[in-house]
Amino acid sequence: MHRAAYLAFDRFPSAKGSAVHIRHMAAELFDRYGGGLLCVLGGGELPAYQREGGVEIVRFTDVVPNLLDRAEAFSRWAADRLAPHRDTLEICHVRDPWGALPALSTGARLVYEANGLPSVELPYHWPLAAPSTLSKIRELEEHCLQESDAVVVPSRVILKAVTDRGAGPDRVHLVPNGADPVPADVPRPPTAPGRYVIYVGALQPWQGVDVLLRAFARLADLTDLTLVVCSSVSPARARPLRRLAERLGVRIQWEHQIPHADVAAWLAHAELSVAPLTAGPRNLDQGCSPIKVWESMAAGTAVVASDLPVIREVLGDHGRLVPPDRPAELARAIRVLLEYPDACRDLGERARRHVEDGFTWKHARARLADVYDRVEAH
Amino acid sequence: MTPCAVTTGFFTLGKCGQMAVAGCPACGRAVCADHLADGGLCPECAAARNRFGHPAAAAAARRRTYRQRQSQYYGDTVYYSGFDDYDRAAFEPGAAADQDYLDDGDDALVDS
Ligand SMILES: [Zn+2]
Ligand SMILES: [Zn+2]
Repeated sequence: MHRAAYLAFDRFPSAKGSAVHIRHMAAELFDRYGGGLLCVLGGGELPAYQREGGVEIVRFTDVVPNLLDRAEAFSRWAADRLAPHRDTLEICHVRDPWGALPALSTGARLVYEANGLPSVELPYHWPLAAPSTLSKIRELEEHCLQESDAVVVPSRVILKAVTDRGAGPDRVHLVPNGADPVPADVPRPPTAPGRYVIYVGALQPWQGVDVLLRAFARLADLTDLTLVVCSSVSPARARPLRRLAERLGVRIQWEHQIPHADVAAWLAHAELSVAPLTAGPRNLDQGCSPIKVWESMAAGTAVVASDLPVIREVLGDHGRLVPPDRPAELARAIRVLLEYPDACRDLGERARRHVEDGFTWKHARARLADVYDRVEAH
Repeated sequence: MTPCAVTTGFFTLGKCGQMAVAGCPACGRAVCADHLADGGLCPECAAARNRFGHPAAAAAARRRTYRQRQSQYYGDTVYYSGFDDYDRAAFEPGAAADQDYLDDGDDALVDS
């Protein structure tokens, strides 16, 4: 009989930043409550059921093609998984409305970790979603956020978005993402090219990878420089960007879905890490707390990133900010940093210290523990 | 020695690999003593037959299922179905922004 449950309509584990986040947040929850139940999406080789010490992992494996149907089927499935633990469940930690609904029905305390909002996020993938549908999704979000005992957000931008949706400001807590320190002597990846600039992450349009490719096309005269893209998605999903890179004649090396443990080495040996996020509403209104930026900083690698409020929050003055969506400006910033390797190294070192002093996952877990303390005290 | 073929790990998954003591009668995979569940099944098959977890949990689950049938135990919040066919149509696989982005099951609603 479990006292705690963590629910996420995400595949876990996976190569995405969200999986890193789930890993650390769920670990804090389960350490505190002597184990618990983790309800996530499965698929591929992932087993439908695992027991790891006091933790039971159950994965939703039904094939439901329609996303909305799938989300609702996940909710019903999760409700059935939670039911046997109703008498003992003290707390549920969720990441989306489809985990929040079954959690609310248990009567346990609810911590809603809002890393993003489906009403903002979905139209990017599902452009046919009607405004009336999105407003229903927003209502659902508002309901779940208002019913939560605590809402955890990774940035001030999304903090505003959730209070706009009716979450009481006294119940909303900032827990920025983090990154674990990278040992200074981490070996160079065997397949790494000589000098390279790196992008790590997914390839959705709002990530701005196309802007980076266009910027890189302007650096063709730097013949010893390669762009390495560590994509969290498969080669097939990278197809449009691969085509664009070919058309632009960019010197690029693709690394797909490499294990998270190997990413740090790729970051540490790069000249620079780039986070070219676009200035769309997804990044401006909803925000995010890009794990790639945290991890680059932790690796001591200088970051060049779009000048957006969410990035400024993470990077402060420990990196180089450039106007978003401007390939020429991005190219210039990269070129200047490459021309001053000492300044570049210094920037990376300062970023590393900043993370070590307050933004490792250990710090994030301690902040989450404070939230649990408060929720228990009420 | 036949290694146990049960998948283990929280964030980094791998095969257990301990010496197997039995084969799961349902799926045939080799299972070590630590992973042997009720009825000689592997943990996954045992879970699929609802035998996993604490015995009390299984009993509670049976009670719940019964009660649920009796009295619509759950509140309506779980089955939020304010969505109609029109809403759903926009989320068919063919309605996504780009098929290239969907081929390995991008279920996550949010990717920070
Ligand atoms: Zn089996
Ligand atoms: Zn085993």
